[in-house]
Amino acid sequence: MKKKNIIQKDLGTKLLRSLSVYGLALLIAFGLISIIIALLGFSVPEALKTLVTTSFKSAFGFQETIKKTIPLIFTTYAFTIPFMIKFFNIGAWGQMLFGGTAVAAVGLLIGNFGLPSFIMIPLLVVVGISAGGLWGWFAGFLKAKYDINPIISTIMLNFVAVLFVNFIATSPTFKDPLEGHPITRPLPSSATLGFFHGIPYSIIFAILAIIFVYILLKKTKLGYEITSVGYNLHSSQTYGINFQKTIMLTFLLGGALAGLGGALEVMNIHGKLIEGFAKTSGAQYGVFGILTSLVVAGSPTGVPIAAFFMAVLLVGADALQRTMQIPVEMVFLSQALIVLLIVIIRKKFEPNGGK
Amino acid sequence: MTFITSFISQTMVYATVYTLTSLGIILGGRTGIFNISAEGILLASASTGFVTAYLTGNWLIGFIAGALIGAAFGFILAFTHETFKVNQFILGIILVIFGSGLSDLLYKIIVGVRLSAPQAPHVPTVTIPFLSKIPVISGILNQDVIVYFMYFAVIISYWFYYKTKIGLETKAIGENPKAADVVGVNVKRRRYLATIIGSALIGVAGAYLPIAITGTYSPDISAGRGFMAIGIAIFASWKPQRAILGGFLFAGIEVIAFQLELISANIPYQFFLMLPFVSVLIIMMIFKKQIEFPASVGKPYSRE
Repeated sequence: MKKKNIIQKDLGTKLLRSLSVYGLALLIAFGLISIIIALLGFSVPEALKTLVTTSFKSAFGFQETIKKTIPLIFTTYAFTIPFMIKFFNIGAWGQMLFGGTAVAAVGLLIGNFGLPSFIMIPLLVVVGISAGGLWGWFAGFLKAKYDINPIISTIMLNFVAVLFVNFIATSPTFKDPLEGHPITRPLPSSATLGFFHGIPYSIIFAILAIIFVYILLKKTKLGYEITSVGYNLHSSQTYGINFQKTIMLTFLLGGALAGLGGALEVMNIHGKLIEGFAKTSGAQYGVFGILTSLVVAGSPTGVPIAAFFMAVLLVGADALQRTMQIPVEMVFLSQALIVLLIVIIRKKFEPNGGK
Repeated sequence: MTFITSFISQTMVYATVYTLTSLGIILGGRTGIFNISAEGILLASASTGFVTAYLTGNWLIGFIAGALIGAAFGFILAFTHETFKVNQFILGIILVIFGSGLSDLLYKIIVGVRLSAPQAPHVPTVTIPFLSKIPVISGILNQDVIVYFMYFAVIISYWFYYKTKIGLETKAIGENPKAADVVGVNVKRRRYLATIIGSALIGVAGAYLPIAITGTYSPDISAGRGFMAIGIAIFASWKPQRAILGGFLFAGIEVIAFQLELISANIPYQFFLMLPFVSVLIIMMIFKKQIEFPASVGKPYSRE
């Protein structure tokens, strides 16, 4: 009985502490944002109201928010899972691009065979997962075998992926001849997912991914290995966990999730491959994924909620640009600032936690 | 012949960006602060430097503004790391994101959308008497001031790390901050100084991109060179004399990739443009055994 009380008390203080971390960071950040907005000559209350409430004022706003939440969930996981063992996957961008490009290329190549949706869609999902996973795994492999810092390797692989998108989207085999911009022909309708009242069906895959990650990390041996390597590398090695293998696996998983995110963007949102498709509100989904993950201190359970709130801010940022001509970069910059503050304040409150 | 001179002088121009950036990263890294944010500094100083040079009509003020913005980033990095003990890599990544947002925002607010892209003032070229008149050599020697500044920075860095007491102490901080502290070196102050000056150097490289190379600012102008410069610093094992080698190597690859892209008809040009990024990985794989790191990189210093 007594033990339970201690645990509850502990949980209470922990909750209170993290609430105060977020509260304080948000307070300072919104203060700073207000100052910058005021300095630029815009109305502060109106801007803040637009930023926070656009998602909830109309059905369209909410649909847009969900559309942004789905890829964000994938890219946030892509950063979070390798981050659990203290490695940085900056490559969600490239993994997403690579997954989406592979799906578009394969989808267009086998599009004429007349395969039904129930074969086409699972097949393309697998293609996207594999392509993204391969791209992620390669960075893990370079770390495990050649000790190349994943920050550098994932960035280099991002640039290669960007050029690969351009190659596919401009090659005569795939390019839409009517488009000036590098865009492929549309995928056959059997390869695309539809919308339900404006909500993309890809949300089903996002929910499946959330369940998958939860079960994988909490209920399987592999998840246990990842968690224990993250807590204490040395003792985990003593118990026979293969560190090199764990590195490659976390990057494989992260890349596979990002690849699925890219595949779903191509299959559901655009229906074709468009150069620069992994971007939103002035930056890549990969970058917003990093920021989102840092907000929840790389804890996988917080990812879906944090991704949703990030999407709310992004929809608000788009609305600010539309209605008040405040550049989207303004919000992007503030987000980086907020995350920096959260990281600092968290470190101040819980010196040993928060990585 | 003109092909060779243009190849060499183009390589020199890009090598200036790579070498200055990696020298800046090396200076911070030698004291134990790994400046992952180089890409963000390049972007922020490119936009700040360009905007100031354009508004004042003076190239030098542009470079000074670039260096100052770089120094500000360096200060934030050192301050948040040393005072709050936040992981350097997390800080670096946030600063990269911050820098990329800041660069476009500044340009949009101050310059905005114009029909014709505004041009930066011209950076003066160094002409050496007599030698500059010889046909082939003149193509190689007649470079702008910043290229010569880069050579100067490499020589000064070499002299600093190997011949001066402060330089040796700087290296000692990177290897063993506690021991340096015991003999009376102010570890924190040195880390601040090294990171700030190093980041200012990166700022100069950033301002060089729009002012001297392209003449105009465009979003994402650094195109990953900040991260490639990190690759160079690691490949160079944090030695300035090897950083310039790496700088020329990557610049050469970049220029060759451009040229091949123009010549080749059969292979899609995108694959040539991939070359610089792929070669960073290949070179780091090849030189895996020779790479050394200062021992205290990544760890905040505290006396307890």
